[in-house]
Amino acid sequence: MDANSIISSLTGKFPEDIYDSDIESGIRVVVKVKPENVVEVCRYLKEDLSFGHLCCEFGVDYPDRNEIEVIYVIGSYEHPVVLTMKALLSRDNPEVESVVPVYWNANWYERETYELFGVNYLNHPDLKPLVLPKEMLGEWPLRKDYAGFPNKSARNLV
Amino acid sequence: MDETVGPSEMIVHLGPQHPMMPGPFRLNAKLRGETVVDSEVEMGWIHKGIEKILENKTYLQGITIVDRICYLAAMTNEEAYVGCVEKLAGIEVPERAQYIRVIMEELSRLQSHLLGMGEYASFVGFVSMFMYTIRDREDVMSLIDSVTGARVTHSFLRYGGVKDDLPDGFKDDVKYVFGNLSKAIDNYEELYRTDAIYKARTKGIGVLTADVAKDLGVSGPPLRATGVAFDIRKDEPYLVYKDLDFKVCTETDGDVFARIQVRLDEMRESMHIIEQCLDQIPSGPIFPENTPYGKRSPIMRVPAGEVFHRVEDPRGEMGFYMVSDGSDKPYRVKIRGPVYPTLQTLPPLLKGVPVADIVAIAGSMDTCTSEVDR
Repeated sequence: MDANSIISSLTGKFPEDIYDSDIESGIRVVVKVKPENVVEVCRYLKEDLSFGHLCCEFGVDYPDRNEIEVIYVIGSYEHPVVLTMKALLSRDNPEVESVVPVYWNANWYERETYELFGVNYLNHPDLKPLVLPKEMLGEWPLRKDYAGFPNKSARNLV
Repeated sequence: MDETVGPSEMIVHLGPQHPMMPGPFRLNAKLRGETVVDSEVEMGWIHKGIEKILENKTYLQGITIVDRICYLAAMTNEEAYVGCVEKLAGIEVPERAQYIRVIMEELSRLQSHLLGMGEYASFVGFVSMFMYTIRDREDVMSLIDSVTGARVTHSFLRYGGVKDDLPDGFKDDVKYVFGNLSKAIDNYEELYRTDAIYKARTKGIGVLTADVAKDLGVSGPPLRATGVAFDIRKDEPYLVYKDLDFKVCTETDGDVFARIQVRLDEMRESMHIIEQCLDQIPSGPIFPENTPYGKRSPIMRVPAGEVFHRVEDPRGEMGFYMVSDGSDKPYRVKIRGPVYPTLQTLPPLLKGVPVADIVAIAGSMDTCTSEVDR
């Protein structure tokens, strides 16, 4: 299975949900998907295109565009193509459906993205903090407008 | 995990002070009698914030930072980071530099497996085994030291090449060390295969099947111990791995014994790869000539773009996702560590096992917790 057939299969199945796609090389594909249909696309990827290996899931903050991109990097155990799937969320109220029902190991990635970016994952089984101490919750430290570590957090420690 | 404890239940905390897993890691296990009913992994003890730090450092400074994600795999972390920049900027690595990188990364895998295996042996009661592997690891560390000048945090790779060439007489040193090491590995294997107590503690314990392991996102030796031949060096070759002859080591049982066996076999393969590299290595530059990046400039601008690059770490799949906005600092770096999904598998894997096996199962994953808590 190569990049071209994957793109044509995906856009054929979801003509409206996938509004942008790009083939970077024979083994790297980028698609942009509407946030409300992430789970269906993931399920199709896993069951029909044998993308069974979620490499990682994370956020990228773009304050200029007032957007947070949630990026899913999905690989496979059967073929070498790695697919990068992007869902663009509004920065004021970032919300996206959780993909834990499809990819089990998304659990921790989503908890991490939740506490570092403030992305709210709907229907996540156990959305609670994973790596941050209690004092830093609600600060979204990986957002670009975060005030910075020593100035803001040292106050909490004193 | 449900924190409520019934009349015949108790919660035991393993780590950060428990000798099983010293480091920024805690496993809360709920026990009923001797059996684990439920468990939960707690992290975030020394959150290093490496992803945030990298956003505020230039690309060259970043190399020293990624070393510190997991110092047992410093060289492969560098390879993943440097590979991202090379892909973004379109830098070609000269062939000699690629061979030197492969040699150093395989040496790094050797020392990591030696430590992981010895540490594991001490978890199940072979404390003297740890002393043997540490002694052998010291020889490998000296080889790395003679090239990079550092023992654990090397900062050895550069965009397009490496910092230094191999020293004179390196091939003879390697030959001498590997002569001893291959005998030592045979001895370890004999010990593991014949010792009744060791077999009782490892055979049939903590079994992962191939389907479950794939579903949980595991990679590296724990996955290969279930029979899945997934190795980035073969599946998506980087550097000169496609010109080298090596096989992907797999076992079929998926238990603790198989994981250790995979590491033993991989050490032999690594030695085989290094010997081939030393025979084949061409002469030539170790740094590309006539490129805008060839001056090892501390302030280097990388074209805007996004790239995902992954390499085979001693523990599995190590990937970096880098977003560049065209400035001299990365806009966002996501580190996909191999241990992160592996640690996630502990709660389902530990359900229903006796408490004595917690250490055997968690230790066999060779989890570097500092990498998870980045």
